Amino acid sequence: MTALLEIRDLHASVGETPILKGINLTINAGEVHAIMGPNGSGKSTMSYVLAGRDGYEVTGGDILMNGESMLEMEPDERARAGMFLAFQYPVELPGVGGMSFLRAAVNARRVEAGEEEIDQLGFVKIVREKARLLGISDEMLKRAVNVGFSGGEKKRYEILQMALLEPRMAVLDETDSGLDVDALRIVSEGVNLLRDPGRAMLVITHYQRLLNHIVPDYVHILADGRVRKTGGKELALEVEESGYAGIDDAA
Amino acid sequence: MPGSMTQPDMSAVMTGEGVRAEALARWQQDGWPGPRAEAWRFTPVDGLAARDLVPATVLAGVASGPGTAAAAGISAHVIRFENGVLDPSGLAGLPAGLRVREMADDEQALSRLQQIAPKGHPVSDLSLAAMTGGIVIDVDGTVPSPLMLLFEGGETGAAAHPVILIRLAPKAHLQLAEWHQSDVGLAAPLIGVDIAAGARLEQVKVQAEGAATTHLAATGVALAEGASIAGFSLCTGGALARLETHVALVGSGADCELSAIYMGRGDQHQDITTYMDHAVAECTSNQIIRGVLDDSSRGVYQGRVHVAPDAQKTDGQQMARALLLSRKAEADAKPELEIYADDVVCAHGATVGELDATQLFYLTSRGIPYETARAMLIEAFLIDTIETIENETLAGLLRPVAEAWLAGGKAA
Repeated sequence: MTALLEIRDLHASVGETPILKGINLTINAGEVHAIMGPNGSGKSTMSYVLAGRDGYEVTGGDILMNGESMLEMEPDERARAGMFLAFQYPVELPGVGGMSFLRAAVNARRVEAGEEEIDQLGFVKIVREKARLLGISDEMLKRAVNVGFSGGEKKRYEILQMALLEPRMAVLDETDSGLDVDALRIVSEGVNLLRDPGRAMLVITHYQRLLNHIVPDYVHILADGRVRKTGGKELALEVEESGYAGIDDAA
Repeated sequence: MPGSMTQPDMSAVMTGEGVRAEALARWQQDGWPGPRAEAWRFTPVDGLAARDLVPATVLAGVASGPGTAAAAGISAHVIRFENGVLDPSGLAGLPAGLRVREMADDEQALSRLQQIAPKGHPVSDLSLAAMTGGIVIDVDGTVPSPLMLLFEGGETGAAAHPVILIRLAPKAHLQLAEWHQSDVGLAAPLIGVDIAAGARLEQVKVQAEGAATTHLAATGVALAEGASIAGFSLCTGGALARLETHVALVGSGADCELSAIYMGRGDQHQDITTYMDHAVAECTSNQIIRGVLDDSSRGVYQGRVHVAPDAQKTDGQQMARALLLSRKAEADAKPELEIYADDVVCAHGATVGELDATQLFYLTSRGIPYETARAMLIEAFLIDTIETIENETLAGLLRPVAEAWLAGGKAA
């Protein structure tokens, strides 16, 4: 079986600085993987490299989705092929209406799949239904993208996009940061609803608490640009108790 | 009368003809300013002197006027100028509250216009002297429907010098649309707006001139106590265009909103120049200027806010942003604050930049193709500003023009 996502000896730099120094990771459909690591370990760089952000240069290795290399693909091509990144810091787009943004994204994917564009009325209905589950009000949907949203609202809006785009490979970058207990629960429930045998998730987090809600199949500890340790969900608890300090030695 | 000190000296009272003769004399002395004139450094127009442009005199009478308002889906009374010449049919059937007559040599109107027109501006003098068509618009009470001033005509060798004085009586209210879509060689409208106490003008201007037209507009505004103007200009047309507006806030509590967006492609040159004169206390002014420049086009914003020593509690804001879509495009900004009062809130800012890479990444990471994402952000940058217009009827006139430009076509 071809892995949904395979990362092979991935090296990447930001500017002149090497950040990722040989990452190997295989993720199959239906699995949820967590990446934990201290600040500066390369977690966010990894999410941007997967999504194809400018300025995050791959200097070695490969990223394969369904067996095909993504390195030459632009961010929009990767997204239409099934990649999704939930941003740690969702970007405000003043003047860009939320509904037209969501529809443009969904239609881009539908056109790619050879489907008809979705009409406005039908779309509004779908969005409202999914938004309700995430506690996103109609008023929020009418605003410009992320403008005037609280930290928690922005994270919920990311999950709404994920629900609408139905990606095959979802990367959640520090989705728990800045969330209070209630918001964390809402976001996690939203994510759990999207767990699917055909979909894989990579949950990037600094803290273990998110993994109480989104329970991973595998946990990887990232330090200094490499995966230092891999285990089951209990590895996250270990880190919670003894910190990242001991991990390097175990590599 | 010799020997009598109580009689006025009649020689000092000028006739309308005299006002115009004097303007002509000033014009003949100064001519078109070149790059060495500080106010015209970024937009020299001395090249006009070599062009053999003739003020138009004859009305061909191709009435396409009301079409514009109708096409935009609004019901407005239209007064049309063709190559700068007044189409008198527009003076009939005016809505309640409006009186319009030809200016001719109305000494009082010409003098007032000269008072409030931008000082030292070539169009303030030349268009007064070479007036191809002139009207005085008097507004009393609330005019229920918008008035549209439509400027068109296809005489490429013509200079159009329409001259207009708009007077709003106390507490009057007018919605005004100024629409420029001619192919004349030079369009040089001179417009004075005299707003009495408590009166309000809501105004939009569309500058969608032909590709070879030079558009030089001089507008002067005087605001009495509690008077207000909400003005918005959208500039997409012309080879070279400069909208210069001077506003005098001379009555306390006056309020001036003066915003503009401009778009440039090819070798177009768009200039927005404003002078905001806070002469008395407790007035507010706010300017939002945004430009989008593609290809080798150039944009200029010069904004001066002057706060007189007595103009305490002034609130004067100006914010100019230019978006460069091409490496060859250029934007110049010169915001200036001259503050002589100590208890004021004034701010200005000017930025020139490219599309935000983070915003582009966010959009494309959702699968939206790069070109679409780029268009969405450019549109947002412009439309966001149009959304600040309170008057939905007038804002509705602008959106199709902006959208046509964004779609790559010529403005509707």
